[in-house]
Amino acid sequence: MSTLKILIVDDLDAFRKVFIEMLVRAGFHDVVEASNFDQAVERFTRERPEICFVDMILPGKSGVEVTKAILQVDPKAKIIAMSSIVNKKMIRESLDCGAKDFLLKPTNDIALSSVLAMWSD
Amino acid sequence: MSLFSKKTKENASHKDDLLPITRKYSVLAGRIYIVEESQPVISFDAFLNIVSTPDKDSQRVSGLAISRQHPNLIREKYGLEDVRIYWLATRAGDDVISPTNLGILTHTIVKFAEDSKRGVILLDGLEYLVSNNDFNKVLRVVDQVSDHISQSKSVMIVPVDPRAFDPKELALLERNTEKMTAASKAK
Repeated sequence: MSTLKILIVDDLDAFRKVFIEMLVRAGFHDVVEASNFDQAVERFTRERPEICFVDMILPGKSGVEVTKAILQVDPKAKIIAMSSIVNKKMIRESLDCGAKDFLLKPTNDIALSSVLAMWSD
Repeated sequence: MSLFSKKTKENASHKDDLLPITRKYSVLAGRIYIVEESQPVISFDAFLNIVSTPDKDSQRVSGLAISRQHPNLIREKYGLEDVRIYWLATRAGDDVISPTNLGILTHTIVKFAEDSKRGVILLDGLEYLVSNNDFNKVLRVVDQVSDHISQSKSVMIVPVDPRAFDPKELALLERNTEKMTAASKAK
């Protein structure tokens, strides 16, 4: 079991629930949730998670703005961009704004395990 | 049809196009991977991930997609500009393979596998092939292609909707194939 803390930023309750179940299955039990920009920045500042999964498409301020705001709090934050659109242009834009990696939504255990293995130390 | 006269675009590709993201799916050269899913979501994610990231030798992997989805739609949806895409359809035209012409389909895959130093092939539309042919004919294509791929440096990803096949057919399809797993940390 990992002691790493993970933040999930996504406006869909159902997605967050499924994602948390996948993280728990992968051995990550310490998970913090946020559904919008304000919550995301507040939770990140307070909880300082080691990895943040941020949906790029959020109502109001976007995932790009969430990513930039979190990086202002901690420039070393590990942010994994997520989107239901898997497109090279979108992946590049996510990386350009400071995300470390990209994960397709809804994700699968194989892709999630690889990303967690890459960024969990 | 200009299937055999077309030059591949892989030579024009640049390493700069590769994305610095995690190689999520672990695939071994010479293998076929069956992905059981109702929509080819994981398969396309894996295909895009493999052609967009360097392999363990820091080299680009060239891609060939054969799909029921129109090539323009795939290019637009996934941003795959430097990948050869064929449409499995009954319409005439360039970049189209008829579902009943299993010889052309086999030749296209085998030629790509043999010509590529490192290649990944996505064959999306097995259900459509079966609906236009006998299952055993399609299985023979998979087996024939498998023989060639196993002697090459390429891999093939085949999404399969388990609802469209009976257990015996699925078992036959999976007989000489692998299941995809997560990539181990390479950094």
